[in-house]
Amino acid sequence: MVHNYSVKQIRVSLNDYSFKCEIIPEKVLQDYLGGVGYAAKVLYEELDKGIDPLSPENKLIFAPGPLTSYQIPGGGSIEICFKSPLTGAWGESRCGGNFGPELKRTGYDFLILEGKSPQPVYLFIHDKEVEFRKAHHLLGKTVSEKTKMIREELADQDISIMCIGIAGENLVRIASLMCESRAAGRCGAGAVMGSKNLIAVAVKGSARLQPHNPDHFNRTLKEVRKVLKESAFAKNFRQFGTIGDLAGNDAAGDWPTKNWQSNNWGQAEELYDYYLQHNFVQNKMCYKGCPIACGRIAKVDEGRFKTPHHEGAEYESVSAFTAFVFNRDMDAAIHSTYLCNELGLDTISAGAVIAFALECSEHKLLSVEEVDGLDLSWGNADILPVMVEKIAKREGIGNLLADGVCKAAQKIGRGAEQYAVHGKGLEGPAHDPRSGKLLAVTYGTANRGMCHIHPLEGMAYDSGKVTWGMTAYGVPDPNTLDRWEEKGKGAITKTLQDGLIMPDVLGVCKFFMYAGITLEHYAQLLSALTGWPIKGRDLLTVGERVINVQRLFNVREGLARADDVIHERAQQRPLFGAYHNEDRCIIKDYEGMLEEYYQARGWDSHTGIPNKEKLRELGLNQYW
Amino acid sequence: MKVKVKLYTILKKYAQGKVWEDNSIVLNRDTTLQELTNYLAIPSNIGLIFLVNNTPQDKEYKLCDGDEVKIFSLICGG
Repeated sequence: MVHNYSVKQIRVSLNDYSFKCEIIPEKVLQDYLGGVGYAAKVLYEELDKGIDPLSPENKLIFAPGPLTSYQIPGGGSIEICFKSPLTGAWGESRCGGNFGPELKRTGYDFLILEGKSPQPVYLFIHDKEVEFRKAHHLLGKTVSEKTKMIREELADQDISIMCIGIAGENLVRIASLMCESRAAGRCGAGAVMGSKNLIAVAVKGSARLQPHNPDHFNRTLKEVRKVLKESAFAKNFRQFGTIGDLAGNDAAGDWPTKNWQSNNWGQAEELYDYYLQHNFVQNKMCYKGCPIACGRIAKVDEGRFKTPHHEGAEYESVSAFTAFVFNRDMDAAIHSTYLCNELGLDTISAGAVIAFALECSEHKLLSVEEVDGLDLSWGNADILPVMVEKIAKREGIGNLLADGVCKAAQKIGRGAEQYAVHGKGLEGPAHDPRSGKLLAVTYGTANRGMCHIHPLEGMAYDSGKVTWGMTAYGVPDPNTLDRWEEKGKGAITKTLQDGLIMPDVLGVCKFFMYAGITLEHYAQLLSALTGWPIKGRDLLTVGERVINVQRLFNVREGLARADDVIHERAQQRPLFGAYHNEDRCIIKDYEGMLEEYYQARGWDSHTGIPNKEKLRELGLNQYW
Repeated sequence: MKVKVKLYTILKKYAQGKVWEDNSIVLNRDTTLQELTNYLAIPSNIGLIFLVNNTPQDKEYKLCDGDEVKIFSLICGG
């Protein structure tokens, strides 16, 4: 018997509405634990090379982790993994909220969705029962409408639901999967679910954690809560939310502005002050019992961007609709991000692809007719919500942009690629590698591309001087290093990535590591729950194994060293702003940092492929 | 010399009792930004970003009379 895991996964075939319960070997759980780890193994072993991500051959893995639970601080988390229709590579998307804990409570560790339904349906899993329900009537509805209608049909307001919006129905490659206002935003999970004619998954369960050693578990839990109670980081997240970083990141040169033309704008302080006075309502927990509660409730009371109270106003989303598009109207930004969530569109990619369109329009790469007669001038707030709707509905210019900046640039041609800032096809988020060089390596080498989750440790280490307890594993004290320095950053990246991927493997929110919960704490919790003797360093090994399997997934899809790149614009001198004359922010030897990184990883320096010895060391011989 | 100092978000509490309501503070001539943060008792393990007259500066920068200093820390959220 394995405590904490049900040792079962449910595999659902949408082709014929069948499902089966499968037993998972204990050794597999020990090696991959859950979340993006277990999903990496499943997708690498079960998907064929080169499949169309929007075909029935793709699979969606709903993967909580062993620590996903209302009882564990940060345990409101789930990962959805798949082959990305945006990038053609490894796709994963994390979502906070109640869905993860609720899925675990149904008695299944993982949910695997396969095939394609002949008609629109939604899935309802309640404890171990599975129902397929017709969903024609949900088509064309917003995310909150779908959520409300499903809850009414099932006569239960507590049911947790993840659904696609109109963007997912239209196979928009930057479509998100939504759990109310929480998003599995990146890489196009919404399009994959839409391609399967699956509109929503609703879950409700009643199982509870049954620790192997309750005393050890409760003791560790008490210690974790004490750390959180005393943590300045936890307090800051609660008090200011992620949006509280606007002014600091702008000042740090960590705020990509005007489609990455600069890393600083000098406008964030004013925007943040406006938000505090006019848009902020209160903070909010993303799942039942979250002790950090970094979420924000926001609103726009009146005017053309009038927006009801909703959960939003988060750093990345607001940055995408202010700095990215050079927009000074905070009401417009709040409204546009609200629309993205209601239509099921990734806010980061949506803001980025609009910024790309603005620049293409400026350089006459898109004609007035091609942009539907809209005035795509920088800072024109009025067009932002219009563009969001067009993208979600694939209307006019929106149809071109719905496939993301990389594919749109290829279609436009004539040099449009120089304005398409992405990594592996994923639009860059609101952190700039010119502000700290470790971020360049984490951006370039992240398996899902230029995202804000895995590479974030680069910025937090270099500029925020955060350690996450990783100095115990040989990471130098960041206070001894200059953020501008390039030498040595490649090797540090390897260990940070191995450790900082673990929240996404364990099924907990990454912010709790920022708040002082270390790998050793997680190892203690996991040991108490499962009875497995696990130390923090063992988790580092799992992290390394997972990164290598994801890497192998990408290698099989044809990705190599040439894809571990940083867009030229994000390496060069900012065209304006406070860092325009700061030579140190220019990235001078990215290739040198990459060499260091490959060496530390045990990957071939020419191809970027994990070598045989490394795979053997990680118990992955069978994948060579 | 007299300079203006503005602290943001999580750093605001370090202004209490040391920075006047109009954001001014009196310092010895040639005080560096590092010395200013020591005086304000901002913990040394917090990553700080400095703007002086809206230009980024390192902690070794020597302040001049009339400078306007902004000090930021990062919450490090996504």
